Amino acid sequence: MELIGLANYAVYMAIFIGIYAILALGLNIQWGFTGLFNAGIAGFFAVGAYASSVFTSPAADGRLGGYDLPIVVGWIGAMVCAALIAWPIGKVCLRFRSDYLAIATIGVAEIIRLVVKSEGWMTGGARGINNVPRPFGELPYFQSQLAYLALIIAVVGLVYFLVERQIKAPWGRMMRAIRDNEAAAAAMGKDIEQRRLEAFVFGAALMGLGGALFAHFNRSITPEAIDPMVATFLIWIMLILGGSGNNRGAILGVAVVWIIWSMSELVTDQLPQEYAIKAKYMRIFIIGLMLQLVLRFRPEGILPEPDYSNHEKKKKVPDANKASDASAAE
Amino acid sequence: MKLTHLAFAATLAGATALTAQSALADVKVGLLGGVSGPIAAMAPPMLDAAQLAFQQVNDQGGILGGQSIEAVVGDSACNPQNGVDSATKLVNVEQVIGLVGPHCSGAVLAVANSVSVPAGVTLLTPSGTSPEITGLQDNDTVMRTVPSDDYQGRALARALLERGTSKVAVAYLNNDYGTGLAESFKDEFEANGGAVAGYAAHEEGKASYRSNLAELSRGGADTLVIFDYGDGTGLTILRQALENGFFENFVGGDGMKSEAVINELGAENLTTFVASSPVGTASTSLDLFRDAFTNVGGDPDAIFVTTSYDAGFLMALAIEKAGGDKAGIATALREVSNGEGEPILPGEWEKAVGLIAEGTAIDYKGASGDLDFDENGDVPGAYALFEVSEDTFKSIGEIK
Repeated sequence: MELIGLANYAVYMAIFIGIYAILALGLNIQWGFTGLFNAGIAGFFAVGAYASSVFTSPAADGRLGGYDLPIVVGWIGAMVCAALIAWPIGKVCLRFRSDYLAIATIGVAEIIRLVVKSEGWMTGGARGINNVPRPFGELPYFQSQLAYLALIIAVVGLVYFLVERQIKAPWGRMMRAIRDNEAAAAAMGKDIEQRRLEAFVFGAALMGLGGALFAHFNRSITPEAIDPMVATFLIWIMLILGGSGNNRGAILGVAVVWIIWSMSELVTDQLPQEYAIKAKYMRIFIIGLMLQLVLRFRPEGILPEPDYSNHEKKKKVPDANKASDASAAE
Repeated sequence: MKLTHLAFAATLAGATALTAQSALADVKVGLLGGVSGPIAAMAPPMLDAAQLAFQQVNDQGGILGGQSIEAVVGDSACNPQNGVDSATKLVNVEQVIGLVGPHCSGAVLAVANSVSVPAGVTLLTPSGTSPEITGLQDNDTVMRTVPSDDYQGRALARALLERGTSKVAVAYLNNDYGTGLAESFKDEFEANGGAVAGYAAHEEGKASYRSNLAELSRGGADTLVIFDYGDGTGLTILRQALENGFFENFVGGDGMKSEAVINELGAENLTTFVASSPVGTASTSLDLFRDAFTNVGGDPDAIFVTTSYDAGFLMALAIEKAGGDKAGIATALREVSNGEGEPILPGEWEKAVGLIAEGTAIDYKGASGDLDFDENGDVPGAYALFEVSEDTFKSIGEIK
């Protein structure tokens, strides 16, 4: 085993963790802070991935493209497109609550997937889009990955900073109020519909950005990438496990789940040859088991939601509630 | 929390300990397949066929002067996310010398773009049929043993026109396989004076396609061309078209040339059904493979097993030819199968090794065809039209 190989693998994992972290942060805004059960992450992921690919890729026969715009424009375009698509969807679907919203958003993601597959003039249909430019793509393997990782870290850092700011601002307080007690928030004059829509659109834009980062890393996007298992449910598991309502928890959850998901294959590969195929299903089992264990023993996730109210009071008043929470968590 | 940490630490520790041990193995080839995911039913026979090639190599004295060749199976799950993840591990952690796979075109594109081409590892896919793969900027390291859908669609279109069919309706499965075939078929058929009276994609796994068929038959064509899988949705479509008499004649691509069609519908109902399929011009190659694969308990009629076997065997030949040099494998692949030299048939590993040692040029004649790579790393493929005769498919002549 060569060291450079391991370094390559580590850098690749960090890149994927970064991409998924953005998706998880988007979901955290929707679920963690606002309580919107969005099970259609794959749909917004796809919109972002395709939008950015169309904007930046060279011309090809039979589909939109050839605009050759700078990659930054592609990424911003991805966010705008995902937000524009999320807006009417939110307008219609956000009247549903909890499970019903989940069902509606699964449907939306499936609609987006089928549109992507069927409207070949726009997306290249089942063939997908190839030759999407990758920033620093012309460098050798390791350097190229490293440069992309640096870019991803910068983007994740920026997104994390902005989301944290937003959540600590009065807007974030309002969202938590709406999540925890809608009636009370409404009684205080908050425009519930509008706020929920804002959170939905904001989260969807981040998911679009995640999709764009993914497409540029792989230099291609095909409908096969819009797989609910890896583009929706895996992100849910990451967020629940890491701690919904906590941005650092979301990122930690992504890292833990992706590392286990990816490295467990190396472990199962050691089983005898005749189990080689069966062993591949082991990791799906491992992830499922982990979710069960976390939900059973630590439903608030690895890093629970911080007590923002306490933080805002600068810990002047010892909070009985907090103390009991802490002892329960031990 | 403690549990999570424990599980996490155990996984990490396990992974490091075990991979360190496996680094001692001989020549490693990555075998990347859609084990879980949408083609989970198709993948195991394909992987078995490739493993058969490696087993033959090991049984006949091994590779590179007696080393054994080991296939490390990776799960691409038929999507780019898992494909890239698995390929990164195979290339970097397992340090494989070449990749056989992935199986699905989307995964091939992603893996080639972000792993195998930058790392300089040769990728040989047995079932990525998307025409997009032809245009990859791949430094000549991405090849396939399966013809691009483009070739077959065009060949079939010309053959139908020759047989006097000038008006058809086309029903195709909405994935890269169905779309690729249908687009090239329509293109060629119309360019040569044929009329496509109905042209529609369908999604897989529905219970009824009668409304799709009714729509297609409205154009007035009496021939239906189906680009789908005969052990899946294609069977449903063919059955419902027969039952309801929407069309009189039926034409299928290679996916439709499945024994399942005959077993389910009966040969007597399929007198007007023809299917095109790639054939090996040297049919002894195919027979050799069929015998060998049946002996290890495989089903030689399963889809893409011949191309998978050829990919495995070709990869081994190229490694031997390149002397184990990772960078030389792509060139070596062309050298061992370019139509010139002493013919090598499936399973003739010892003979091939001898000839390579002597410096004689060899030419692999695969179970799925002659496999002479063109400048894009594609194989042209030889096709024949098959009709149903006495419970099996019988060739009624090659098509070009």
